[in-house]
Amino acid sequence: MIQLTQETKSGWCVVGVSGRADSEAADELEGALRAALELHAKVAANLAALEYISSAGLRAVIQAARAAQAKNAEFAVCSLSAAVQRVFDMSGMHHIMRIHGELPC
Amino acid sequence: MWHNQAILTETEFVLQGRLGELERLTAETAKFCREHSLGDEMEFDLNLVLEELFTNSVRHGGCAGMENAVLVRLQLLDHAVLVEFADRGTPFDPLTAPVPNIEATLEERGVGGLGVHLVRQIMRDLEYRRADGWNRLTMQRPC
Repeated sequence: MIQLTQETKSGWCVVGVSGRADSEAADELEGALRAALELHAKVAANLAALEYISSAGLRAVIQAARAAQAKNAEFAVCSLSAAVQRVFDMSGMHHIMRIHGELPC
Repeated sequence: MWHNQAILTETEFVLQGRLGELERLTAETAKFCREHSLGDEMEFDLNLVLEELFTNSVRHGGCAGMENAVLVRLQLLDHAVLVEFADRGTPFDPLTAPVPNIEATLEERGVGGLGVHLVRQIMRDLEYRRADGWNRLTMQRPC
């Protein structure tokens, strides 16, 4: 189960992601990030309450980063838990995108 | 009556060939880890490895819609958890699958192979064999 929220703060659209980003939830995650990118020039994914991520969830984040790049939008991935950070590290996500310790806003 | 007090160090479960089974996979893994006081990191890793293998079997390995498609066995050894993942799908050796370039940039990065890459990062002593119509992968996650 994944829970997604959205709020606007100091010019950023913050998508809050909590729960589990697994194969079943990946499409929902990608959809929410893409929808935010459609409407906003600056989107931050707040992963502070994300407990679990698999390659399917990583793929959703990668696809969102691609969508951001295509439309020249800013996309920030923020506040990873230690467990999620480990999966990002093993996957070399830092070669693809900037990972932020805290929200940019 | 001593035999009744033997500690069960092994668990086994069967999964149907549909992604909805992920929930049960997660629950079974959590139960095994709880029963053996294995900690959050072990639970996370076992869950991740099993999800990656199961999702591959269902999405790309011909297990979609198959009854009793996958058999998972978890066994606690002295210094590791032994995992056996078996499926009745098409023959596939994940150990010979192409390795993704994880240093690639966003433009160059392919989307395939990341799941198997994670399995190989986390697990040790991986062995694959095909026997009696089953793909059988055994591996260990050190404690």
